[in-house]
Amino acid sequence: MLTVTRLEKSFATEDGPLRVIDGVSFTVPDGQCYALLGPSGCGKTTTLRCVAGLEEPDAGRIEIAGTVVYDSAARIAVPTNQRPIGIVFQSYAIWPHFDVFENVAYPLRVARPRIARGEIEDRVMAVLDLVGMRDLAKRPAPRLSGGQQQRVALARAIVRRPKLLLLDEPLSNLDARLRDYMRKELADLIERIGITALFVTHDQAEALSLAQRVAVMNEGHLIQEGAPREVYSAPATAFVAEFIGGSNIVEGRVASRNDARAQVALQGGGPVFEIDMEATPGETVNVLFRPEGIRLSTTPVEGGNVLSGTISASIFTGSVIDYTVALAGGLRLRVIAPSDQQFERGTAVWLTVRDVRGLKREHPPSGT
Amino acid sequence: MPLPQCATPTTTDWSSRIIPTLGAIAAVYLIAVPLAMLIYAAFRGPADFLPFEAGAQWTVDNVRAVFTDPIMYGEIIPDTLTFVAGTVCLTTVMALAMAWLIERTDLPYRGVWFALIIFPTLVPIVVQAIAWILLLSPNAGWINRLIRVATGWSGKGPVDVFSMAGLIFCQSLSVAPFVFLQFSATLRAMNPAFEDASRGSGASTWTTLRRITLPVLLPGLLAPIILITLITFEQFELPLIIGLPGGINVFAYRIYNELNPASGLPNYGRAAAISLPFLAMGLLALLAYNHAIRNAEKFVTVTGKAYAQRRIPLGAWRWPAYGFLGFYVGFAAILPALILLWTSLFGFSVPGSVPLDQASLASYRQLFADPLLWRAVRNSFTVAILSALIVTLLGALIAWIVTRSTFSGRWLLDALSFMSLGIPAVITGLAVMVLYLSVPIGIYGTVWILVIAYSYRLAVSTRLSRATIMQVHKELEEASEAAGARWLTTQVRILLPLIMPGLVSAFLLLFIIGMREFTLPFVLYSQENVVMSVLIWQFFQGGEPARSAALATLMIAIVLPLVVFARRYLVSRGAGE
Repeated sequence: MLTVTRLEKSFATEDGPLRVIDGVSFTVPDGQCYALLGPSGCGKTTTLRCVAGLEEPDAGRIEIAGTVVYDSAARIAVPTNQRPIGIVFQSYAIWPHFDVFENVAYPLRVARPRIARGEIEDRVMAVLDLVGMRDLAKRPAPRLSGGQQQRVALARAIVRRPKLLLLDEPLSNLDARLRDYMRKELADLIERIGITALFVTHDQAEALSLAQRVAVMNEGHLIQEGAPREVYSAPATAFVAEFIGGSNIVEGRVASRNDARAQVALQGGGPVFEIDMEATPGETVNVLFRPEGIRLSTTPVEGGNVLSGTISASIFTGSVIDYTVALAGGLRLRVIAPSDQQFERGTAVWLTVRDVRGLKREHPPSGT
Repeated sequence: MPLPQCATPTTTDWSSRIIPTLGAIAAVYLIAVPLAMLIYAAFRGPADFLPFEAGAQWTVDNVRAVFTDPIMYGEIIPDTLTFVAGTVCLTTVMALAMAWLIERTDLPYRGVWFALIIFPTLVPIVVQAIAWILLLSPNAGWINRLIRVATGWSGKGPVDVFSMAGLIFCQSLSVAPFVFLQFSATLRAMNPAFEDASRGSGASTWTTLRRITLPVLLPGLLAPIILITLITFEQFELPLIIGLPGGINVFAYRIYNELNPASGLPNYGRAAAISLPFLAMGLLALLAYNHAIRNAEKFVTVTGKAYAQRRIPLGAWRWPAYGFLGFYVGFAAILPALILLWTSLFGFSVPGSVPLDQASLASYRQLFADPLLWRAVRNSFTVAILSALIVTLLGALIAWIVTRSTFSGRWLLDALSFMSLGIPAVITGLAVMVLYLSVPIGIYGTVWILVIAYSYRLAVSTRLSRATIMQVHKELEEASEAAGARWLTTQVRILLPLIMPGLVSAFLLLFIIGMREFTLPFVLYSQENVVMSVLIWQFFQGGEPARSAALATLMIAIVLPLVVFARRYLVSRGAGE
């Protein structure tokens, strides 16, 4: 279990101190995989480095597997080499002067009390087996491919059976095809060894598919935390909605309200949408449409939640087509359609919105 | 199996504090202490008293005497400036032309030319100077005798190496290879895409050269040019050996002269007082150098990355190119080597005047029988190896402190070690001399004072190690920490092996500098601590050119194979200060 409490960290810059982590708290239960997700500069990597002890926070408390490793109030700061962790670095940091075996054996060789030679051999081979690198044990590090380096980095991180595995953008150094493959493999492996893991990524697909819980960070704050499906389907802020899955965000005004539903008119005119949300009539709110939650058709569609417009641009990406649709009121929406739905530019289309969500305009400073 | 104990929090490793602190203290001791002593000495008198000697007191007499001396304004300053300015111009033109021919044209036999051009970097300047005197002295110089025979010229000359022009010519020949290496690195590091992009925009070759190539290269060329200024400014051997007979009086020689006056006792205070303005000038040039390097880095032409350059076909122009390179290599490498070998076998006689079977190994036999030779050989190696070892390790430690630690005085340490580049050797010699004459720990006159004096050149190692350490991704060390290793384990098992090639090349470079060194052992000379370069000069001055040439030949024969063996380390890094 990892518990991070009210973590704070500033860096000195030429324009004064820059607050990169601002009161971040979260808990990773035993055996779970937890993802910190956010754009670059949001503080996620710094958070991970504070947990690792590679960076010293300004304030807060960090507890790994029941041991306090950092506590600003109690003036505790355990050095990295005495924390029960394993790290997979973004660059993999495979030592070029060792071969595969020596890279993986290193954590055991430096362990005190000493570990017997034979045992080191057994444990290294066992873990190399686990990552499928047994046959390459004697290969020099500079001759490893990206995927192989990643496996070695992982083997090295878990060989001494740490209580917590930290992964810093573990897949970002791989090319797209290998990334998909290694993602599945990594998920499988983490589950098999049942280790508690914290990983950092800017790739939402990676976070959603690997982690049991996801925390979205921005500008040093933890904005929203939850199960992947939850964060995806119920984003707490426009930022989260935009960052996860992408979203069309349109300004709207609450016309009226009955029960738990508000009737919202879009800024450029068009139909009134019924949205589940707390809002008072007259209030301006954000209306969210998922690009993949809109269906296009060239024939008029009757019913609620239907808009009309013309196709103004399209990007063919193979599996789907990414359309930009200009609405009558001047708005532009992004729509992702299956690749068999091909429309010429200028085609008049009707948009059936199946997934619409409303959000308050003010952004709460922190989701937790 | 239990996890390595994750015990209660401990204090940080003692080794991570103590080792860098010791390194910092050593660096301060090697550079700052002698300098402080020098400044102190400049304000102590009366003349021929050591600063701490009983009877010495505070005084401005030294400074006044030095700065009211008409020789200072009439000879030393103008001579020093002419010498430096002339050398900078001539060297820049020669070295840039050579670098361009080797790096950017299709000149045939580039590898051979390259090796010949950098050969003089291995030869002590005393040896070069002696060879140039044998070639170009107005009376007996081979070239002059050849010209006189060919043209019927009567009297001396026509070429006189003992002149300002001769001094500048010799100094340029001697510095050019160092600057050539730097210019080559700059040319090699230029991304050809800059030029391609210009051509792709429709610019002609000439416009591209003028608007793109030169402006992009300029910052990278400026730093080596300032380096010539620094090297020439502190040059002592050539002003002593070639300048002095020509009546040229530069500051480096002037300091030596105060310590070894024709009559009377050494005047430490006045020597220190002369040093002060020149020390300031050296440091000023260093600041400019630092600024130039930073500028160059901003332009990212100096990334250490080499690109495949498109070579310009020379066509018939290769004949003038051969002529130019042949002239340089002839005077800087081939003729000196030949004349030394010849002189060691035949003495002063000219080829053609003696039958070849009169060659005599007598001078070599005498040399080997001389116990002084073996002492000099032992001293040279002891001092060169030990000082190279000290500077390499200390420099690496300082580089580590500057790049990796959060030690708050690290910029000061960085500045101090960098400063050593700007301190003329003759001033270091003086400072070390005054220091160990005053502090009686019994090393004055021994090889140990040379080891300490040589070790002030920290910048050479700091700068090489720093570049090497910066290439080691920080995560490689963090991964070791995360694997549970202590600080010292990480340094010894991860960082040290990774920067070893850099350390080896720094060591080799410092070893060569140490073997070439003449100024420090000459200023700090005693019977006991004589080194090869000083002995060569003593033989020559004592009227034994054959023995001097024999020792010079021997020295090159020892150093050359050592260095050629290790050359790949050096050249691959383009290190050449």
